[in-house]
Order: sequence, then structure tokens, then C-alpha cells
Amino acid sequence: MPEKITVSDIDRDEAFRYMAAEGYTPEGALADITEECEKRLLAAVRPVYTYRVLPIESKDDSGVVLPGIVLPGKDITELLAGCDNAVLMCATVGAAVDALIRRMQSEDMAKAVVTDALASAAIEQVCNKFDILLAEKYPDRYFTFRFSPGYGDLPLTVQHELLGVLNASRLAGITLDSSGLMLPMKSVSAVCGMSGSPLERKKTGCAFCRMKDNCSFRRKGVRCGF
Amino acid sequence: MSAVDFKKLLDENEFVILDGAMGTMLQGMGMKPGEIPELYNIEKPEWTEKIHRSYIDAGSMIVYANTFGASRVKLASSGKTPADVIPPAIANAKRAAEGRAYVALDIGPIGQLLEPSGELSFEEAYDIFKEEVIAGRDADLIVIETMTDLHETKAALLAAKENSDLPVLCMMTFEENKRTFTGCAVSSAALTLEGLGADAVGVNCSLGPDELYPVVEEFVRWTHLPVIAKPNAGLPDPETGEYHVTPEEFAESAAKMARLGVKIFGGCCGTDPDYIRALCRKLSELKYVKNEHTIPAAVCTPENTVVIDCPRIIGERINPTGKKRFKEALKSNDIDYILSQAVEQSEAGAELLDVNVGLPGIDERDMMIRTIKAIQSITNLPLQIDSTDPEVLDAALRVYNGKPIVNSVNGEEKSLKTILPLVKKYGAAVVGLTLDENGIPKTADERFAIAEKILSRALEVGIKRENVFIDCLTLTASAEQAGVKETLRAVYRVKHELGLKTVLGVSNISFGLPHRELVNCNFLQMAMVNGLDLPIMNPNVPSMTGAVRAYKLLMGIDENSVDYISHYGNDDNAPAPIKIVNAENSLDLGGAVLKGLKSEGARMTAELLRTTPAMEIVNDILIPALDKAGAMFESGKMFLPQLILSAGVAQAAFEEIKKKIAEESGEPVVKGTVVLATVKGDVHDIGKNIVKVLLENYGYRVIDLGKDVDPQRVVDAAIEYDVRLVGLSALMTTTLGAMADTIALLKKNNVNCKTVVGGAVLTPDYAEQIGADFYARDAKATVDVAKRIYG
Repeated sequence: MPEKITVSDIDRDEAFRYMAAEGYTPEGALADITEECEKRLLAAVRPVYTYRVLPIESKDDSGVVLPGIVLPGKDITELLAGCDNAVLMCATVGAAVDALIRRMQSEDMAKAVVTDALASAAIEQVCNKFDILLAEKYPDRYFTFRFSPGYGDLPLTVQHELLGVLNASRLAGITLDSSGLMLPMKSVSAVCGMSGSPLERKKTGCAFCRMKDNCSFRRKGVRCGF
Repeated sequence: MSAVDFKKLLDENEFVILDGAMGTMLQGMGMKPGEIPELYNIEKPEWTEKIHRSYIDAGSMIVYANTFGASRVKLASSGKTPADVIPPAIANAKRAAEGRAYVALDIGPIGQLLEPSGELSFEEAYDIFKEEVIAGRDADLIVIETMTDLHETKAALLAAKENSDLPVLCMMTFEENKRTFTGCAVSSAALTLEGLGADAVGVNCSLGPDELYPVVEEFVRWTHLPVIAKPNAGLPDPETGEYHVTPEEFAESAAKMARLGVKIFGGCCGTDPDYIRALCRKLSELKYVKNEHTIPAAVCTPENTVVIDCPRIIGERINPTGKKRFKEALKSNDIDYILSQAVEQSEAGAELLDVNVGLPGIDERDMMIRTIKAIQSITNLPLQIDSTDPEVLDAALRVYNGKPIVNSVNGEEKSLKTILPLVKKYGAAVVGLTLDENGIPKTADERFAIAEKILSRALEVGIKRENVFIDCLTLTASAEQAGVKETLRAVYRVKHELGLKTVLGVSNISFGLPHRELVNCNFLQMAMVNGLDLPIMNPNVPSMTGAVRAYKLLMGIDENSVDYISHYGNDDNAPAPIKIVNAENSLDLGGAVLKGLKSEGARMTAELLRTTPAMEIVNDILIPALDKAGAMFESGKMFLPQLILSAGVAQAAFEEIKKKIAEESGEPVVKGTVVLATVKGDVHDIGKNIVKVLLENYGYRVIDLGKDVDPQRVVDAAIEYDVRLVGLSALMTTTLGAMADTIALLKKNNVNCKTVVGGAVLTPDYAEQIGADFYARDAKATVDVAKRIYG
């Protein structure tokens, strides 16, 4: 039985960063709304995750081969350099969060926007806790950062197989719609590498992101965290 | 196999034994991960036959044909259809069975989410399941399993019941919190699926048998149908994918469930014939325990079961009778207004909502379907479907997710004959009005007699007693003063002599009298004392909702006054008088918009409307304030949530203006009409909805086509409403193609309008490349485009 992940408070700084309001502390009507949204969100959040640790069978410039799935692209090959295993994971804060955001859109659009950003922060917190659990479970191993379909040249189309290998619909309630988007919306799927020896920290940041030319964060002079 | 044969199987055996996993076994024989198991029905028929035989040898009385994923959606990539893979699957199983076991058509989830979270409509889901049911007609029975969405389960069960005569077993998958991944409660699953005519209900997959024990315990409390338990052999190991509960442990845990009253057992992921053998051995030592719990009167949505064990408020506001603003909303397809009424009532304390959208000149059936879907997407209050038209009721009962109330049947022969069969078919509860061909009887005794008649007729068609609620009818006190006591006495008799739940529309009592609230409130109290369970009333009147809460406190229903104190213990929540703003500190409406003060904004608008024309308020106050907010947003002095807060105040102000205009039957304020849509394949619509709020508050009428919108619908709407601007939104790179298709189709049809596009991944270059006229980087920019077009 995997360890439970819980979320007891939301990283508001992170959420305001998603609203392109980095460093802003809400006041007045917005402070009241943020308070209410956080409370209602926490009541709806129900983190679920699942993962598989799979041996890397082979890799070259075209991608990485694991049992039951090929991860195409150069970026994933670079990420997994020096690794013998890949960890596939997916996590969600659950369907009730989608329902809450939908409901908020009928109540008050501002609440919906704030809740949406708080929920994005919440799923990120779940993923960070997953990283910690993984490191605790394998104390002698080293891990790369998490890399998701859609990052770099790892195509979104790999989602189908990735979630299939994870048996995500049965074990985490995560499905894909016909465009390959995950539902519930506040879900993450990712791959990270596992190695017996220390790994060089890979390049991250805007310069390496394919979104850099049209990024709403960059336009406002802030960063998403990639 | 007929329903009679199934009953015989249940009667002749202490326990009925299903099979174990199919996928696990196929993988053991060499199927690779990612392969479609159903193709093995054709390619390796001897494999599935062998697996079935090993289960039957181990003691399975029913085996599942290898059809779990045989929907056209899951088979799409293989080029095969359900008709290709299902008949051979059943033939393989029958060959293995040789009459020793029954063969079930196995129906699993489609694998895509239904609306409102996903794209698939209820009707499409029904169609997909129907195809499987028809292809599987040679099976002996049907099992629907591993479901997490009650709506999808309902679609499958309806498809099974309407396209075959086979017995149907229904199983859903629950987590440790006794809910499915989509939030469906055990009680809601049991109430809904039993109502819809399942022959057995229960749980499969998800967890190991010990973790499922509390789920099964809950199931048994909510149904008298045979209960099924088909757990996994524990949870899979993340490294090996293997399951760890042994056959003996599995059987021991099953034995515990047998003591709860479970009748039908089997195994899911990770189990094999050894588990079935161990199960049979262990269960042979035990006797079936008949489930004799009393099932309470209750209605539900997937997330929320409302037990009618004390007064529960049915909100009456979703009804056009006597409401000009509501009629206007129905005529202009303004679902958002209807939703605002749902939200307001649920916040005020309604526990159920009556839904009536009947109005001459509109398509009531279509409106009812859309309204129910929309309301269920934003609240989890059970609904009371209110219509006099059986066709409307049928359509509404079909799409409703959960167990609703039908309002209403009455003692007239025609009504009894048409309405009760619908109530039975869809497993609803029903309100019986105590009137008949001769109208409303004067005395309580005559109304009681009609209630008795309605009850007996309901029982005759198979509706359970606890699902019949009686409305003894409120007459107007000013016109028929003596009638009040008769109504109350009828309520008392129905409640205490027939033991049925009672309903009353409360507000009618005071018609034509001054200070109606006083009369309503007192009548409500008297009715509750006499046994009223379900007052249909306006929950937005604090004294009325307060009367129900006070009643529950005084009768000891609200233990330790917890609910009462939570509502009134804090001064802020008490029904307070409207604050009088000190003139010196008072804000103007523009200031309220900028500060995001919604209720103040609405109040100020209402006051201004007494002296100022609506258009002047819009042009001279609201729009300049929004412009100022927009400028502050663009210069980084205001952030997105604040901009939307300001828009929300303007929205509240507009609502006051619309109300006033509807009362005066004047022309609505419209600067121009814009069609908005999130494109085909994309269900992320929050960005589009932000744009909508801003546009509406600048005085534009928005035709909101929603999300996942087919290009043709955009074209049709652009032509129908003769718009000069269409706005399209897409969030992901994968759906940009659909945006291009939509623009191309608009051009192909020579629709005389401009297009504005936006969304997270969109760039000005791409917008130009796909032929869009404008690119908008945010909601404010879209308003600027609309201003350029319409002024």
C-alpha cells in the first residue's frame, strides 16, 4: 500500500505566481476570496498517485525503450543519461476539484480564477511530496527532476501509452480525452531517471523551454518554475 | 438466461461464484502490455477458452466473456468493431462452459470521461453501450463493472435493459473513502442502480478484500438486491506490478463479507483459479445471511444522498411562474441565469431544487435536458423534476444523474397511467397530488383517500412505498380559510396513517394577503408540526429557512444545535439588516467596481436605477470604471483576479439592470453580439469564460457555445445570430488544428464576421497563419477587439 499524500495548506505564493502576480499579497475583497477559495479547495482536494519503476532496456538519440513503452525524443535520452531505471508517475488532486472550479464559475469568476491557480499549486505540492517519498523509499539512489510529456521534444502523444503502463485510469482515476489531455484537469504525469551514482543537474530554465517565445509568465516578467 | 433463471440460481445456491481476472491470465500466457486483450478472442480463441475452463473447474458458476474493453472507442485503433470481437468471445466462453456455467457479456468503462468533466455526452455513451449489448445478445447475462462514473453506469444499464431481456449485474469501483474516483457515494450507487432495474449490485476491483470491507458494509445498508464483491488480490507493487494477497487470505476476507450479507463473490485484478478454488472451499462452510436492513426514503446525486428523515427544503425558484426575469432568461436561452438561481438557493439552505422550465413558445423538452445537465454540473443537490408533460419527464429522467423526484402524479386515471410507469422505469421518487378528475377535494378525508389510491397504484407497478411522497395541496387562506385546517389534517393523516413522506408548496397560503412572509412562516411551522417533510419554498427568505432550522433545533433533530449555531452563531451570518453606508465614506458605483465589492455594487445600482436611465449607468459609470480597471491591469497595477473581481461587480450591476428592464418589459441593453467557443477537442474553458464575463460587462451579448464545440456549430450560431465577431479559444497545441478548421469553415461558408482567437499556446504568428482576423493575448484585449468592431 503506497504512502498517502495529503495537502493541508496551499502554497499561495506559487498560486499568485500562476496568476502572474508574483510576490503579491492579496488584500481587501481578494484576500477574503482567497481565504474562502483555499478552504473550499482543501475540502475538495483528494490526492491520488501511482508510479512504476522500470528498467531502461536501451536508449539512443531517438528515444528510450522501457518495458511496454518507448519514450521518444532527444531530451528524454539526455535526461536519463547515466540512469539504469526510469520512474513513471502520475498524480491528481481529483475530480472534485474540477467540479469545484466549475461551480465557482457560476458563483463568481474571480473565485474560479483564484481556485484554479490554487489547485495548480496544490498538484505541484503533491508532486513535490511524491519526490520526497521516492527519495525516502530509495535512500541509496539518485534522481533526475521530473519531465512531463509536452516538455522539450517529448510529445504529448506519448500520454496514452504512459498512462496505460501506469494503469492510471484504474489506479488513479486519470483518463485522457480525445485530444490527449488529462482529466481530472489538475493532474500531472511525468518521468524521472533513477541512478546508483550522483547525477549532473540538467539544464532547466526559459532558455531551454519551447514555450519561451510565447509565454504568459515571461510577458509579465516572471517564470513558471521549469 | 431469464430473470427467473437468475433468481433460481440465487435460490438454489448459498453463494454464487463468479470468475477471477482475465487480463492477468492472458499476460501470464504471453500477452504483452499495451495489446488489446479482446483481439485474442479471434487470434487465440483457445487461450480464452482455456482460461474460462480453468475458472469453471475451480468452481465459477458465471464466467465473464473477454469483452471488458470491447467498446468501439477502445477498439478504434485495432480496426475491429464490437460485432467482430464480442460474438467470438461469447462463443469461446460457451465452448468452455459446456452448460456447466453461465456466460456473461462483460461491459467495462468506455475509457473517456462523460460531460461535464469530459467530452462524451450521455447519449453517445448510451449508444456505445447499446452496440455492445446488441453484439452480445448470445450471452446468458450482462455484467457492467469497474465503473467510477454513475452517469456512465446509468447509460450502460439503460442500454442493457432497453436492448435485451438478460439479467444485469452492476459493479462500481470504490476507494477507501467509500467513494469512486469521480466522487460517487456507495449510497447513491445503490439507490440509483437498484432503481434502474439492476438484478444485483456491488463492487469490484479498486482495492484488496480487507480494504473493501467497509465499502461492502455500506452497500448492504442501501439495497435489498443481492450484493456482489469481486476485489483485487491487494494492490500492485510499483516495481513488479504484482499483487500480494494470497488465495487463502483472500478467501478468509471474503468470508467476513459473507457474514455482512454478500451473496455473489469473485476476484478481480491479480486473482486466478486458485483464488476461486479457495473462495469456494471457504464459503462452503458458511450460510448466506439475508439482508434485512430497512432502506430509508432518500434521493440522490452521485456525490450527495439526501435522506428524507426530517424537514428538507426544496427550493422553488427555478420556475418561470410569475417571474418576468426568469421568463426572459428562458426565451433567450440564458442558462447562466438559471444556474445563478441554483447557486443562490443552495447557498441559502435548499437541500433539493425543484426544476420547472415550462413556458409557452419554448421547446420545454430541450430546455429541460439542458437545464438539468447544467445544474448537475455545478451543484450536487438532488432535483425535483417538475413538468406536466410526460415526454419532458421521460427525457429529464433519462439524463438525470442519480435518483430524482418526479413532480408530479395525481389521482386522475390518465396521470396514474402515464406517470407511474416512468417513475418505475427510471427508479425515481414521485410526488402524488391529492386531486383527481373532480378537482381538489374540500376535506382532509377525501384527500387522504386519493393519497391511498395513488399509493396502491404505485405499489402495483412496482414502485416502493418509501418512494411515494404525497402533496396534500395548499390552498389560499384568503380565499378558503377553512381549507387550511383540512390541508394540515390531511398531512397529519398521510404521514401517520400511511407512513409516507409529505410535500407542500408553502407560499401559496398567503396569496392576496398583506405581509405574506408572516403568514408563510407560521403556516410552515404548523405544517412541519403536523408532519411535513419537504416544504417547497423560497430558501432565499431568511425567516423561512430560519423557521426550518429552528424547528429542527426544537424537535431535537439538530443535535446539540450544531447546525443552528453554525448558521446563526456568527453575527455575520445572521439575517442582518442592510448596512447603511455613512454618506461621507460612501463609495460610488465606479469605486465599488474598482474595489471588487459585489453586493455594494448591486445595491448601488438598484438605487441608481430609480433615478438614472439604465444606459446612462452602463455608459457613464460601469464602462469607464471597467476601462480604468483594464488600464490598471495592462500597466501591471492590477492583477487578473482583481480585474475579474471588478468585472464581477459590473456583472452584479448588470443583473440589477436586467431585472429592472424585464419588469418594465423594455429592450435589453445590447451593444453587439459575440459568439464564443472553446474549440473541438478542448475542454479547458476557464479562459473563454473569463473573456465572456468581461464582454458581458461591457454590454455585449455573448452566445456561449461552451467547450469542445464542433466547427459547424460555430458556423450555425454565427449565421443564426448574425454576429460580426466570433471568439475562439484553445488551450493546448493539440487543439490548435481544430481552431484552424473552425476558421476555415467560417470562410468556406462565407460567414460575414471577423474572428478573434486566444489561448495559452497561441501566438500572433500562428493566429495570422490560420487566418484569424485578430489575436488577443488576454481577456482585456478581446474587449478591445469587440470595441473596434462594434464601437
